[in-house]
Amino acid sequence: MDKKNPLILVAILSVTAAVGLFLWVVQESRALSYLSSDPKVCINCHTMNTSYATWQHSSHRGKASCVDCHLPRDSFINKMIAKSRDGYKHATAMTLRSYGNVLRVSDDAAARIQANCISCHQAAVSQMLDNSALYDRADPTVAMGRRCWDCHRRVPHGTTRSLTATPDNLGVKEL
Amino acid sequence: MKKSTLLTAAAVAVMVPMLLLLVSIKENKAEQQTQNAVPPIMNSLKGGAVAAGDVAKLPAIKKYESRSAEWGKYYPRQYDSYLQTSKSIEITDVLKEDPALVILWAGYGFSKDYNAPRGHHYMLEDNINTLRTGGPVDDKSGPMPTACWTCKSPDVPRLMHEKGELDYFTGKWARWGTEIVNPIGCADCHDNETMKLSISRDFLKRALDAEGSRPFAEASHQDMRTLVCAQCHAEYYFKKTDWTDAEGNKQLAEVVTFPWDNGTSVEAIEQYYDERDFTDWTHQLSRTPMLKAQHPGYETFITGIHGKNGLACADCHMPYVREGGVKYSSHKVGSPLEDIQNTCLTCHRESEEEFKQIVKRKLERKNELARAAAAELAKAHFEAAKAWELGATAEEMAPALLDIRHGQWRWDFGVASHGGFFHAPEETLRILATAIHKGQSARIKLRTVLARHGAADYEAPGFSSKEEAQALIGLSMDKLVAEKMQFLDNLRPQWLKEAAAKGLYDEKTRQGMAFKTSYSK
Repeated sequence: MDKKNPLILVAILSVTAAVGLFLWVVQESRALSYLSSDPKVCINCHTMNTSYATWQHSSHRGKASCVDCHLPRDSFINKMIAKSRDGYKHATAMTLRSYGNVLRVSDDAAARIQANCISCHQAAVSQMLDNSALYDRADPTVAMGRRCWDCHRRVPHGTTRSLTATPDNLGVKEL
Repeated sequence: MKKSTLLTAAAVAVMVPMLLLLVSIKENKAEQQTQNAVPPIMNSLKGGAVAAGDVAKLPAIKKYESRSAEWGKYYPRQYDSYLQTSKSIEITDVLKEDPALVILWAGYGFSKDYNAPRGHHYMLEDNINTLRTGGPVDDKSGPMPTACWTCKSPDVPRLMHEKGELDYFTGKWARWGTEIVNPIGCADCHDNETMKLSISRDFLKRALDAEGSRPFAEASHQDMRTLVCAQCHAEYYFKKTDWTDAEGNKQLAEVVTFPWDNGTSVEAIEQYYDERDFTDWTHQLSRTPMLKAQHPGYETFITGIHGKNGLACADCHMPYVREGGVKYSSHKVGSPLEDIQNTCLTCHRESEEEFKQIVKRKLERKNELARAAAAELAKAHFEAAKAWELGATAEEMAPALLDIRHGQWRWDFGVASHGGFFHAPEETLRILATAIHKGQSARIKLRTVLARHGAADYEAPGFSSKEEAQALIGLSMDKLVAEKMQFLDNLRPQWLKEAAAKGLYDEKTRQGMAFKTSYSK
């Protein structure tokens, strides 16, 4: 028992340190705020400033928040799975600085967003949904075979999308 | 024992990524604070309101300060990115790539030496090293006028201010060797007090007003982000202008002038030169009164889709970049293709690879037509020379020579606008198509003249390299290079020494500069 003592002590200390560190990370990263659906949570990170500012000045502002478009809305569980996966990817990208100035949605996110476009604009696109079966070259990643924003390029984040070049994005500083 | 070791290892294993995340969050929060802060206004920076003591202690930037390092003390990031224009080290010998150019420019400096342009850092170095500026032995010798410095250095606006514009434009190139020593830099585009974009060369303002559709007084800030570039990246000629100096002596200035009175299209400028009977030189083989086009980048850009959509040169050639929380415009002016992510993709949705392929194909299309035009025109020059040799008269030759003049002018306009294949592909291809048409039209006329003089089946000589083409037009390259080296070994070092003594020369601009030319071994 005597011989084991120091190692057990080390183990206890390490685990305590890990737990302490975890709590610190939770506090620093405002982890609990991510349980909310408030768009301001997305600008916890300044990387989202331009997306926030452009959305804030778009027609979608009054109708749809970030999560309304970017996360699945079919079930709470799917929403939370997607949120955790995106959160993990974003935290990794921020930590490793592996992102550039121009951010693009992944195919996975594109599929979710498109599903949300369709669910809100059901009446407007019902005929297009039928016609989409006839598309010559369909994009298999999204429902309807063609990304809505291939044509509706300004919706809702504008045409100039770069962390350094998107105009008029200083309005986000009132946190 | 095993359990506790495992537990420790597991704890350490989870702590590592958590620590990394924590460090990153801290860093990003600091960045966030800088980025969300109200940007400082330039004037308060100069007054010392920002970064307190250090900035206030700096000496003010003088008007016409040509040493960019002095500006760099206030704007280290912009200055640092500007210095990186030195990275375009390699020389591309354009005559070697298409030897037909030697024939097209026979009797003119460009047949001796012509390289693709390098970064702003090399402006002076390449101007001084090219065989076109020859080997002067004092301030009154050499083949070129002072005007050849005009777009190479911020010392030019300084000299124009000190001496007067007409005096600056008078004399031989070598006259200003001890005065013009800093490559294109801050003072060429910026006001020293407000940093606002400003035009340092009045000939652009005069040309805009003469053309009339976009007078200088109406230029917006966005226009200025193109116009500061257009001071140099435009078509010009040296207009001979008489003037009388303070002592009452008659002088002749050769003033850089933009030929925009009739408009900025290739036809409008052609008409401008024809109306004035202007010729850059008489062709050595065909005796055609020739025109030389010089980088009509601005004229071409404004006809293209990016120009029409209100983009400025700086939007793609000087993209915004980030360093930590600080955003600034990169002053490493060069090809946007080196940074597609920060340029094209800001507005376009394709991938980088797709972009490269699209642009590559655009360039291939232009090269295809440009090569075809050059080949036609080179043959036309030889056929005209043969006709003269057989005794053709000036009346017989005139219509064909006019076609050669116009055809080569158009070809040159299409290729010398450098990025024209991208800036305005339709206009560039249209211009090159008319060049081919004019070249063929000249050759049909010449064939009739040749037939009349008994040489209906004359074939122009072939050539497969720059050297063969230069030998065909009788250029003595060894002599030209020897003269140049004599100048570079003697007069050049003296220029730099005198300029340094006058306190004009920023030595950093030539630090580590390797001697690179098309003729050095």
